[in-house]
Amino acid sequence: MIKTYDVEKDNYEAAGQASRDIKKTLKMFGLDSAVLKRIAIACYEAEINIVIHSNGGKITFELMNDGSVNLSFDDTGPGITDLEKAMTPGYSTASTRARELGFGAGMGLVNMKSVASTFNIESNSEGTHIKMSFK
Amino acid sequence: MKNIIEYAKQNCVHCIRCVKSCPVNAVYIENKTVHIDSDKCIYCDTCVQNCPEHALEVKGAHMHDTFPQFDYKVALIPTAILTETSSYEQLGRIAEAIRKLGFDEVVDYSDIEGALYRKAIDYAQEHPGLWLTSMCPAMNRYIINNYPTLMDQLLPFEYPVEIAAKRVRERTKDKGRVGIYSICECIAKLSLAKEPFGNENSNIDYAMSVSHIFPKINKLISDDKSVMKINRYGIKSNVAHLFGNKVNSIISVEGLNQCQQFLELAEFDRLKHIDLAAMYACYQGCVGGYFLWNNPFEGSYNIESLLEHCHSEVANLSEEEYSKTFKVDTKEQSVEERIIWFNKVNEILEQLPQYDCGSCGYANCRGLAMQIAKGEADISRCRVRKG
Repeated sequence: MIKTYDVEKDNYEAAGQASRDIKKTLKMFGLDSAVLKRIAIACYEAEINIVIHSNGGKITFELMNDGSVNLSFDDTGPGITDLEKAMTPGYSTASTRARELGFGAGMGLVNMKSVASTFNIESNSEGTHIKMSFK
Repeated sequence: MKNIIEYAKQNCVHCIRCVKSCPVNAVYIENKTVHIDSDKCIYCDTCVQNCPEHALEVKGAHMHDTFPQFDYKVALIPTAILTETSSYEQLGRIAEAIRKLGFDEVVDYSDIEGALYRKAIDYAQEHPGLWLTSMCPAMNRYIINNYPTLMDQLLPFEYPVEIAAKRVRERTKDKGRVGIYSICECIAKLSLAKEPFGNENSNIDYAMSVSHIFPKINKLISDDKSVMKINRYGIKSNVAHLFGNKVNSIISVEGLNQCQQFLELAEFDRLKHIDLAAMYACYQGCVGGYFLWNNPFEGSYNIESLLEHCHSEVANLSEEEYSKTFKVDTKEQSVEERIIWFNKVNEILEQLPQYDCGSCGYANCRGLAMQIAKGEADISRCRVRKG
Protein backbone atom coordinates (compact mmCIF):
# COMPACT_ATOMS: atom_id res chain seq x y z
CA MET A 1 0.00 0.00 0.00
CA ILE A 2 1.09 3.57 -0.70
CA LYS A 3 0.08 6.70 1.18
CA THR A 4 1.23 10.28 0.70
CA TYR A 5 1.09 13.18 3.14
CA ASP A 6 1.60 16.91 2.64
CA VAL A 7 3.77 18.60 5.24
CA GLU A 8 3.46 22.33 5.83
CA LYS A 9 6.33 24.65 6.58
CA ASP A 10 6.40 26.07 10.15
CA ASN A 11 3.14 24.40 11.16
CA TYR A 12 4.22 23.14 14.56
CA GLU A 13 0.70 22.16 15.58
CA ALA A 14 0.37 19.66 12.75
CA ALA A 15 4.00 18.56 12.96
CA GLY A 16 4.19 14.82 13.51
CA GLN A 17 0.72 13.97 12.19
CA ALA A 18 2.00 12.05 9.18
CA SER A 19 4.38 10.06 11.38
CA ARG A 20 1.53 9.30 13.78
CA ASP A 21 -0.62 8.00 10.96
CA ILE A 22 2.19 5.89 9.50
CA LYS A 23 2.93 4.44 12.93
CA LYS A 24 -0.77 3.68 13.48
CA THR A 25 -1.06 2.02 10.07
CA LEU A 26 1.96 -0.18 10.74
CA LYS A 27 0.57 -1.20 14.13
CA MET A 28 -2.69 -2.20 12.47
CA PHE A 29 -0.70 -4.25 10.00
CA GLY A 30 1.16 -5.86 12.88
CA LEU A 31 4.74 -4.93 12.02
CA ASP A 32 7.48 -6.28 14.25
CA SER A 33 7.90 -3.79 17.10
CA ALA A 34 11.70 -3.53 16.83
CA VAL A 35 11.39 -2.42 13.18
CA LEU A 36 8.45 -0.17 14.04
CA LYS A 37 10.51 1.61 16.66
CA ARG A 38 13.24 2.45 14.13
CA ILE A 39 10.68 3.66 11.59
CA ALA A 40 8.91 5.83 14.17
CA ILE A 41 12.13 7.57 15.18
CA ALA A 42 13.38 8.20 11.62
CA CYS A 43 10.03 9.21 10.20
CA TYR A 44 9.35 11.73 12.94
CA GLU A 45 12.81 13.26 12.64
CA ALA A 46 12.45 13.62 8.88
CA GLU A 47 8.94 15.06 9.11
CA ILE A 48 10.01 17.63 11.69
CA ASN A 49 12.96 18.58 9.45
CA ILE A 50 10.54 19.45 6.65
CA VAL A 51 8.49 21.62 9.04
CA ILE A 52 11.52 23.41 10.49
CA HIS A 53 13.94 23.75 7.61
CA SER A 54 12.07 23.58 4.31
CA ASN A 55 9.44 25.44 2.35
CA GLY A 56 7.16 22.45 2.80
CA GLY A 57 7.04 19.08 1.14
CA LYS A 58 5.57 15.66 1.04
CA ILE A 59 6.07 12.22 2.56
CA THR A 60 5.51 8.99 0.66
CA PHE A 61 5.01 5.83 2.67
CA GLU A 62 5.01 2.42 1.10
CA LEU A 63 4.41 -0.95 2.74
CA MET A 64 5.86 -3.62 0.46
CA ASN A 65 4.49 -7.14 0.04
CA ASP A 66 7.47 -8.63 1.84
CA GLY A 67 6.68 -6.51 4.92
CA SER A 68 9.49 -4.00 4.35
CA VAL A 69 8.79 -0.27 4.44
CA ASN A 70 10.00 2.52 2.15
CA LEU A 71 9.79 6.16 3.11
CA SER A 72 10.51 9.20 0.90
CA PHE A 73 10.71 12.78 2.09
CA ASP A 74 10.68 15.37 -0.68
CA ASP A 75 10.67 19.07 0.05
CA THR A 76 10.76 22.11 -2.20
CA GLY A 77 13.90 23.80 -0.92
CA PRO A 78 15.91 25.71 -0.01
CA GLY A 79 18.18 22.66 0.28
CA ILE A 80 21.13 21.87 2.52
CA THR A 81 24.21 23.90 1.62
CA ASP A 82 26.79 21.64 3.22
CA LEU A 83 25.53 18.08 3.31
CA GLU A 84 28.72 16.72 4.89
CA LYS A 85 28.42 19.18 7.77
CA ALA A 86 24.70 18.38 8.17
CA MET A 87 25.59 14.73 8.67
CA THR A 88 27.87 15.64 11.62
CA PRO A 89 26.41 14.84 15.07
CA GLY A 90 25.34 18.01 16.91
CA TYR A 91 25.46 20.31 13.89
CA SER A 92 22.21 22.25 13.52
CA THR A 93 20.85 25.25 11.66
CA ALA A 94 17.49 25.18 13.48
CA SER A 95 15.91 28.51 14.43
CA THR A 96 15.62 29.69 18.03
CA ARG A 97 11.86 29.07 17.80
CA ALA A 98 12.41 25.44 16.81
CA ARG A 99 14.97 24.92 19.56
CA GLU A 100 12.61 26.42 22.13
CA LEU A 101 10.13 23.74 21.15
CA GLY A 102 12.72 21.05 21.77
CA PHE A 103 13.62 20.40 18.14
CA GLY A 104 16.86 20.98 16.29
CA ALA A 105 19.38 19.15 18.46
CA GLY A 106 21.44 18.44 15.38
CA MET A 107 20.98 14.68 15.54
CA GLY A 108 18.21 14.34 12.96
CA LEU A 109 20.06 13.10 9.88
CA VAL A 110 22.57 11.18 11.97
CA ASN A 111 19.78 9.31 13.76
CA MET A 112 17.94 8.56 10.54
CA LYS A 113 21.00 7.08 8.94
CA SER A 114 21.74 4.94 11.97
CA VAL A 115 18.27 3.39 12.26
CA ALA A 116 17.42 2.89 8.56
CA SER A 117 18.39 -0.22 6.60
CA THR A 118 19.25 1.94 3.61
CA PHE A 119 19.58 5.72 3.62
CA ASN A 120 19.99 8.04 0.68
CA ILE A 121 20.03 11.83 0.63
CA GLU A 122 20.24 14.34 -2.21
CA SER A 123 19.98 18.05 -1.87
CA ASN A 124 20.15 21.17 -4.04
CA SER A 125 18.50 24.58 -3.94
CA GLU A 126 15.33 23.09 -5.46
CA GLY A 127 14.85 20.74 -2.53
CA THR A 128 16.06 17.88 -0.37
CA HIS A 129 15.17 14.27 -1.11
CA ILE A 130 15.61 11.53 1.47
CA LYS A 131 14.87 7.88 0.82
CA MET A 132 14.96 5.30 3.57
CA SER A 133 14.06 1.66 3.68
CA PHE A 134 13.43 -0.58 6.68
CA LYS A 135 13.57 -4.34 6.96
CA MET B 1 -9.45 -13.90 31.97
CA LYS B 2 -13.19 -13.61 32.30
CA ASN B 3 -14.90 -10.37 31.46
CA ILE B 4 -14.81 -7.94 34.30
CA ILE B 5 -17.84 -5.87 33.40
CA GLU B 6 -21.38 -7.18 33.59
CA TYR B 7 -24.07 -6.12 31.20
CA ALA B 8 -27.72 -5.60 32.11
CA LYS B 9 -29.45 -5.89 28.75
CA GLN B 10 -32.85 -4.76 30.02
CA ASN B 11 -31.42 -1.31 30.84
CA CYS B 12 -29.52 -0.83 27.55
CA VAL B 13 -30.89 1.72 25.07
CA HIS B 14 -28.20 1.04 22.42
CA CYS B 15 -26.94 4.61 22.52
CA ILE B 16 -23.38 3.41 21.61
CA ARG B 17 -21.77 5.70 24.19
CA CYS B 18 -19.86 2.70 25.56
CA VAL B 19 -18.68 1.77 22.06
CA LYS B 20 -17.51 5.29 21.23
CA SER B 21 -15.91 6.03 24.57
CA CYS B 22 -13.74 2.91 24.86
CA PRO B 23 -10.09 4.00 24.56
CA VAL B 24 -9.06 0.68 22.99
CA ASN B 25 -12.12 -0.14 20.85
CA ALA B 26 -12.89 -3.23 22.90
CA VAL B 27 -16.65 -2.59 23.07
CA TYR B 28 -19.04 -3.44 20.23
CA ILE B 29 -22.73 -4.10 19.77
CA GLU B 30 -23.85 -7.29 18.05
CA ASN B 31 -27.52 -8.38 17.91
CA LYS B 32 -28.52 -5.44 20.11
CA THR B 33 -26.23 -6.74 22.83
CA VAL B 34 -23.10 -5.05 24.15
CA HIS B 35 -19.96 -7.20 23.98
CA ILE B 36 -16.54 -6.52 25.41
CA ASP B 37 -13.54 -8.11 23.73
CA SER B 38 -11.62 -9.45 26.72
CA ASP B 39 -8.34 -9.58 24.75
CA LYS B 40 -8.51 -5.84 24.16
CA CYS B 41 -10.20 -4.64 27.38
CA ILE B 42 -7.75 -2.94 29.74
CA TYR B 43 -10.18 -2.86 32.71
CA CYS B 44 -10.41 0.91 32.88
CA ASP B 45 -13.81 2.32 33.86
CA THR B 46 -14.58 4.44 30.79
CA CYS B 47 -17.53 2.43 29.39
CA VAL B 48 -19.09 2.05 32.84
CA GLN B 49 -18.77 5.78 33.49
CA ASN B 50 -20.19 6.69 30.10
CA CYS B 51 -23.29 4.49 30.27
CA PRO B 52 -26.24 6.79 31.09
CA GLU B 53 -28.53 3.84 31.89
CA HIS B 54 -26.26 1.94 34.28
CA ALA B 55 -26.42 -1.07 32.01
CA LEU B 56 -22.74 -1.79 32.56
CA GLU B 57 -21.78 -2.71 36.07
CA VAL B 58 -18.91 -4.21 37.95
CA LYS B 59 -19.59 -6.80 40.57
CA GLY B 60 -16.98 -7.96 43.03
CA ALA B 61 -17.19 -11.10 45.14
CA HIS B 62 -19.91 -11.47 47.76
CA MET B 63 -17.78 -11.65 50.81
CA HIS B 64 -19.97 -13.45 53.30
CA ASP B 65 -20.91 -16.28 50.90
CA THR B 66 -17.22 -17.09 50.61
CA PHE B 67 -16.21 -16.86 54.27
CA PRO B 68 -17.22 -20.40 55.41
CA GLN B 69 -14.58 -22.09 53.21
CA PHE B 70 -11.69 -20.49 55.12
CA ASP B 71 -10.25 -20.95 58.62
CA TYR B 72 -8.37 -17.67 58.55
CA LYS B 73 -9.25 -14.57 56.57
CA VAL B 74 -7.05 -11.61 55.71
CA ALA B 75 -8.16 -8.31 54.17
CA LEU B 76 -5.65 -6.30 52.15
CA ILE B 77 -6.63 -2.64 52.16
CA PRO B 78 -5.49 -0.12 49.55
CA THR B 79 -3.52 2.96 50.54
CA ALA B 80 -5.88 5.08 48.44
CA ILE B 81 -8.59 4.44 51.06
CA LEU B 82 -6.82 7.15 53.05
CA THR B 83 -8.47 9.67 50.76
CA GLU B 84 -11.71 8.97 52.56
CA THR B 85 -10.47 10.14 55.90
CA SER B 86 -8.96 13.34 57.12
CA SER B 87 -7.27 11.96 60.21
CA TYR B 88 -4.91 9.12 60.98
CA GLU B 89 -7.10 8.04 63.89
CA GLN B 90 -10.10 7.70 61.60
CA LEU B 91 -8.10 5.38 59.36
CA GLY B 92 -7.51 3.14 62.41
CA ARG B 93 -11.27 3.13 63.05
CA ILE B 94 -12.04 2.22 59.42
CA ALA B 95 -9.47 -0.59 59.51
CA GLU B 96 -10.96 -1.95 62.72
CA ALA B 97 -14.47 -1.81 61.20
CA ILE B 98 -13.19 -3.81 58.22
CA ARG B 99 -11.74 -6.38 60.62
CA LYS B 100 -15.10 -6.63 62.38
CA LEU B 101 -16.70 -7.65 59.07
CA GLY B 102 -15.23 -11.07 59.83
CA PHE B 103 -11.52 -10.88 59.08
CA ASP B 104 -8.77 -12.15 61.34
CA GLU B 105 -6.30 -9.59 60.05
CA VAL B 106 -6.34 -6.31 58.17
CA VAL B 107 -3.12 -5.62 56.28
CA ASP B 108 -2.04 -2.48 54.49
CA TYR B 109 0.75 -2.68 51.93
CA SER B 110 1.97 0.91 51.65
CA ASP B 111 5.40 -0.32 52.83
CA ILE B 112 5.62 -2.47 49.68
CA GLU B 113 4.34 0.33 47.45
CA GLY B 114 6.90 2.60 49.07
CA ALA B 115 9.72 0.15 48.41
CA LEU B 116 8.76 -0.14 44.73
CA TYR B 117 8.42 3.61 44.44
CA ARG B 118 11.99 4.05 45.66
CA LYS B 119 13.23 1.21 43.45
CA ALA B 120 11.67 2.79 40.37
CA ILE B 121 13.36 6.12 41.07
CA ASP B 122 16.74 4.53 41.80
CA TYR B 123 16.56 2.36 38.70
CA ALA B 124 15.75 5.31 36.45
CA GLN B 125 18.60 7.37 37.89
CA GLU B 126 21.10 4.57 37.31
CA HIS B 127 20.01 3.63 33.79
CA PRO B 128 20.00 6.25 31.04
CA GLY B 129 16.96 6.91 28.87
CA LEU B 130 13.25 7.21 29.53
CA TRP B 131 11.66 4.63 31.86
CA LEU B 132 7.98 4.10 32.45
CA THR B 133 6.54 2.81 35.69
CA SER B 134 3.01 1.98 36.64
CA MET B 135 1.32 0.13 39.46
CA CYS B 136 -1.92 0.44 37.53
CA PRO B 137 -3.07 -2.79 35.85
CA ALA B 138 -5.13 -0.80 33.33
CA MET B 139 -2.14 1.30 32.31
CA ASN B 140 0.19 -1.68 32.02
CA ARG B 141 -2.29 -3.55 29.84
CA TYR B 142 -2.73 -0.40 27.77
CA ILE B 143 1.02 -0.11 27.17
CA ILE B 144 1.51 -3.84 26.48
CA ASN B 145 -1.37 -4.04 23.98
CA ASN B 146 -0.93 -0.72 22.24
CA TYR B 147 2.69 0.40 22.61
CA PRO B 148 4.76 -2.75 22.10
CA THR B 149 7.77 -0.69 21.05
CA LEU B 150 7.95 0.72 24.60
CA MET B 151 7.84 -2.63 26.37
CA ASP B 152 11.57 -2.66 27.03
CA GLN B 153 11.23 0.72 28.78
CA LEU B 154 8.48 -0.42 31.16
CA LEU B 155 9.89 -1.30 34.57
CA PRO B 156 9.05 -4.98 35.13
CA PHE B 157 7.70 -4.76 38.67
CA GLU B 158 5.15 -7.02 40.31
CA TYR B 159 2.00 -5.36 41.69
CA PRO B 160 2.33 -4.37 45.37
CA VAL B 161 -0.97 -6.04 46.30
CA GLU B 162 0.26 -9.32 44.78
CA ILE B 163 3.56 -9.14 46.68
CA ALA B 164 1.60 -8.45 49.87
CA ALA B 165 -0.69 -11.43 49.26
CA LYS B 166 2.26 -13.73 48.67
CA ARG B 167 3.85 -12.60 51.92
CA VAL B 168 0.61 -13.17 53.83
CA ARG B 169 0.28 -16.61 52.23
CA GLU B 170 3.74 -17.62 53.44
CA ARG B 171 3.36 -16.09 56.89
CA THR B 172 0.04 -17.84 57.57
CA LYS B 173 1.01 -21.34 56.41
CA ASP B 174 0.06 -22.81 59.79
CA LYS B 175 -3.39 -21.20 59.91
CA GLY B 176 -5.26 -23.85 57.95
CA ARG B 177 -7.25 -22.73 54.92
CA VAL B 178 -6.36 -19.06 54.46
CA GLY B 179 -8.55 -16.72 52.43
CA ILE B 180 -6.92 -13.55 51.12
CA TYR B 181 -9.25 -10.73 50.13
CA SER B 182 -8.22 -7.58 48.29
CA ILE B 183 -10.37 -4.53 48.85
CA CYS B 184 -10.03 -2.41 45.72
CA GLU B 185 -10.25 1.27 44.92
CA CYS B 186 -10.72 0.71 41.18
CA ILE B 187 -12.02 -1.71 38.56
CA ALA B 188 -8.59 -2.58 37.18
CA LYS B 189 -7.37 -3.84 40.53
CA LEU B 190 -10.23 -6.36 40.67
CA SER B 191 -8.44 -8.17 37.86
CA LEU B 192 -5.56 -9.01 40.23
CA ALA B 193 -7.33 -11.89 41.99
CA LYS B 194 -8.56 -15.42 41.37
CA GLU B 195 -12.18 -14.34 41.73
CA PRO B 196 -14.36 -12.92 40.40
CA PHE B 197 -12.46 -12.61 37.13
CA GLY B 198 -10.36 -15.69 36.88
CA ASN B 199 -6.74 -14.60 37.32
CA GLU B 200 -5.70 -18.06 38.48
CA ASN B 201 -2.02 -17.17 39.03
CA SER B 202 -2.85 -14.71 41.79
CA ASN B 203 -2.35 -15.32 45.50
CA ILE B 204 -5.46 -13.26 46.15
CA ASP B 205 -8.63 -15.34 46.45
CA TYR B 206 -11.26 -12.65 46.18
CA ALA B 207 -11.26 -9.01 45.11
CA MET B 208 -14.08 -6.65 45.93
CA SER B 209 -14.86 -3.01 45.53
CA VAL B 210 -14.47 -0.77 48.54
CA SER B 211 -17.70 1.04 47.72
CA HIS B 212 -19.72 -2.20 47.81
CA ILE B 213 -18.65 -2.95 51.35
CA PHE B 214 -18.64 0.61 52.61
CA PRO B 215 -22.25 0.66 53.90
CA LYS B 216 -21.34 -2.35 56.07
CA ILE B 217 -18.10 -0.74 57.25
CA ASN B 218 -19.93 2.46 58.10
CA LYS B 219 -22.25 0.65 60.51
CA LEU B 220 -19.30 -0.96 62.30
CA ILE B 221 -17.20 2.17 62.84
CA SER B 222 -16.72 2.87 66.55
CA ASP B 223 -13.97 4.23 68.76
CA ASP B 224 -12.09 0.92 68.51
CA LYS B 225 -8.96 1.31 66.44
CA SER B 226 -6.53 -0.99 64.65
CA VAL B 227 -2.94 0.17 64.58
CA MET B 228 -2.02 1.07 61.00
CA LYS B 229 1.51 1.59 59.78
CA ILE B 230 1.41 3.67 56.67
CA ASN B 231 4.52 4.46 54.67
CA ARG B 232 4.84 7.94 53.20
CA TYR B 233 6.45 6.73 49.98
CA GLY B 234 3.55 4.34 49.57
CA ILE B 235 1.22 7.33 49.72
CA LYS B 236 3.37 9.21 47.22
CA SER B 237 3.13 6.31 44.78
CA ASN B 238 -0.66 6.58 44.84
CA VAL B 239 -0.94 10.31 44.17
CA ALA B 240 0.18 11.59 40.80
CA HIS B 241 1.38 15.02 41.91
CA LEU B 242 3.33 13.56 44.84
CA PHE B 243 5.29 11.07 42.72
CA GLY B 244 8.94 12.07 42.53
CA ASN B 245 10.40 15.27 43.82
CA LYS B 246 10.09 17.45 40.71
CA VAL B 247 13.84 17.29 40.22
CA ASN B 248 15.89 14.51 38.66
CA SER B 249 13.60 14.54 35.59
CA ILE B 250 10.83 12.50 37.16
CA ILE B 251 7.29 13.26 36.09
CA SER B 252 3.76 11.90 36.48
CA VAL B 253 1.32 11.49 33.62
CA GLU B 254 -2.34 11.08 34.54
CA GLY B 255 -5.53 10.30 32.67
CA LEU B 256 -5.71 7.84 29.78
CA ASN B 257 -5.91 10.61 27.16
CA GLN B 258 -2.81 12.38 28.41
CA CYS B 259 -0.99 9.08 28.82
CA GLN B 260 -1.76 8.26 25.20
CA GLN B 261 -0.30 11.58 23.98
CA PHE B 262 2.75 10.99 26.10
CA LEU B 263 3.30 7.43 24.88
CA GLU B 264 3.00 8.61 21.27
CA LEU B 265 5.88 11.04 21.82
CA ALA B 266 7.87 8.39 23.68
CA GLU B 267 7.56 6.13 20.62
CA PHE B 268 9.13 8.89 18.53
CA ASP B 269 11.97 9.01 21.07
CA ARG B 270 11.14 12.65 21.77
CA LEU B 271 11.33 12.40 25.58
CA LYS B 272 14.97 11.53 26.13
CA HIS B 273 15.40 14.33 28.66
CA ILE B 274 12.97 12.61 31.05
CA ASP B 275 14.28 9.79 33.23
CA LEU B 276 11.11 8.37 34.72
CA ALA B 277 7.43 8.78 33.99
CA ALA B 278 4.89 7.41 36.46
CA MET B 279 1.76 6.55 34.49
CA TYR B 280 -1.76 6.64 35.95
CA ALA B 281 -4.96 5.83 34.06
CA CYS B 282 -6.96 7.97 36.52
CA TYR B 283 -6.62 11.69 37.08
CA GLN B 284 -4.83 12.41 40.37
CA GLY B 285 -3.54 8.82 40.35
CA CYS B 286 -4.92 5.88 42.34
CA VAL B 287 -6.77 8.32 44.57
CA GLY B 288 -9.02 8.88 41.54
CA GLY B 289 -10.13 5.21 41.61
CA TYR B 290 -13.68 4.58 40.45
CA PHE B 291 -14.80 2.94 43.71
CA LEU B 292 -13.69 5.79 45.97
CA TRP B 293 -16.52 8.11 46.78
CA ASN B 294 -14.59 11.31 47.45
CA ASN B 295 -13.80 13.62 44.57
CA PRO B 296 -10.20 12.85 43.46
CA PHE B 297 -9.02 16.39 44.17
CA GLU B 298 -10.54 16.43 47.63
CA GLY B 299 -9.18 12.93 48.19
CA SER B 300 -5.70 13.94 47.17
CA TYR B 301 -5.88 16.89 49.59
CA ASN B 302 -6.96 14.56 52.41
CA ILE B 303 -4.25 12.03 51.79
CA GLU B 304 -1.55 14.67 51.50
CA SER B 305 -2.47 16.05 54.92
CA LEU B 306 -1.75 12.60 56.41
CA LEU B 307 1.81 12.41 55.03
CA GLU B 308 3.40 13.81 58.18
CA HIS B 309 1.95 10.97 60.27
CA CYS B 310 3.37 8.25 58.09
CA HIS B 311 6.89 7.31 59.08
CA SER B 312 6.92 3.53 58.96
CA GLU B 313 9.80 1.88 57.08
CA VAL B 314 9.59 0.69 53.50
CA ALA B 315 9.51 -3.09 53.01
CA ASN B 316 12.72 -4.91 52.31
CA LEU B 317 12.00 -6.62 48.99
CA SER B 318 14.13 -9.26 47.33
CA GLU B 319 14.57 -9.04 43.59
CA GLU B 320 12.72 -12.32 43.20
CA GLU B 321 9.74 -10.85 45.06
CA TYR B 322 9.30 -7.73 42.98
CA SER B 323 10.39 -8.83 39.51
CA LYS B 324 7.75 -9.61 36.96
CA THR B 325 7.72 -10.42 33.26
CA PHE B 326 4.91 -8.80 31.35
CA LYS B 327 3.46 -11.24 28.89
CA VAL B 328 2.98 -9.91 25.38
CA ASP B 329 0.57 -11.79 23.16
CA THR B 330 2.14 -12.11 19.76
CA LYS B 331 0.04 -13.49 16.98
CA GLU B 332 1.96 -16.10 15.04
CA GLN B 333 1.16 -15.00 11.51
CA SER B 334 3.54 -14.96 8.58
CA VAL B 335 4.21 -11.71 6.72
CA GLU B 336 2.29 -13.08 3.71
CA GLU B 337 -0.76 -13.87 5.84
CA ARG B 338 -0.63 -10.45 7.44
CA ILE B 339 -0.35 -8.69 4.06
CA ILE B 340 -3.30 -10.64 2.63
CA TRP B 341 -5.44 -9.88 5.69
CA PHE B 342 -4.41 -6.21 5.79
CA ASN B 343 -5.15 -5.69 2.09
CA LYS B 344 -8.49 -7.45 2.38
CA VAL B 345 -9.58 -5.24 5.29
CA ASN B 346 -8.36 -2.11 3.49
CA GLU B 347 -10.29 -3.00 0.33
CA ILE B 348 -13.50 -3.38 2.32
CA LEU B 349 -12.73 -0.18 4.20
CA GLU B 350 -12.60 1.69 0.88
CA GLN B 351 -16.26 0.82 0.35
CA LEU B 352 -17.26 2.23 3.73
CA PRO B 353 -17.85 5.95 4.41
CA GLN B 354 -15.05 6.17 7.03
CA TYR B 355 -16.92 8.68 9.19
CA ASP B 356 -16.45 6.23 12.08
CA CYS B 357 -19.97 7.08 13.29
CA GLY B 358 -20.34 3.86 15.26
CA SER B 359 -23.99 3.23 14.35
CA CYS B 360 -23.17 -0.24 12.99
CA GLY B 361 -22.15 -1.21 16.52
CA TYR B 362 -18.38 -1.01 15.94
CA ALA B 363 -16.31 1.93 17.12
CA ASN B 364 -15.03 2.69 13.62
CA CYS B 365 -15.34 1.63 10.00
CA ARG B 366 -12.19 -0.48 10.30
CA GLY B 367 -13.88 -2.48 13.06
CA LEU B 368 -16.80 -3.30 10.75
CA ALA B 369 -14.44 -3.96 7.82
CA MET B 370 -12.59 -6.53 9.92
CA GLN B 371 -15.83 -8.30 10.80
CA ILE B 372 -16.82 -8.35 7.14
CA ALA B 373 -13.39 -9.70 6.21
CA LYS B 374 -13.84 -12.48 8.77
CA GLY B 375 -17.20 -13.28 7.19
CA GLU B 376 -19.02 -12.40 10.40
CA ALA B 377 -20.88 -9.32 9.16
CA ASP B 378 -22.38 -8.04 5.94
CA ILE B 379 -21.67 -4.65 4.40
CA SER B 380 -25.40 -3.85 4.74
CA ARG B 381 -24.68 -3.31 8.44
CA CYS B 382 -23.44 0.16 7.48
CA ARG B 383 -26.35 2.53 7.94
CA VAL B 384 -24.66 5.56 6.36
CA ARG B 385 -23.81 3.68 3.18
CA LYS B 386 -27.47 2.69 2.81
CA GLY B 387 -28.38 6.36 2.82
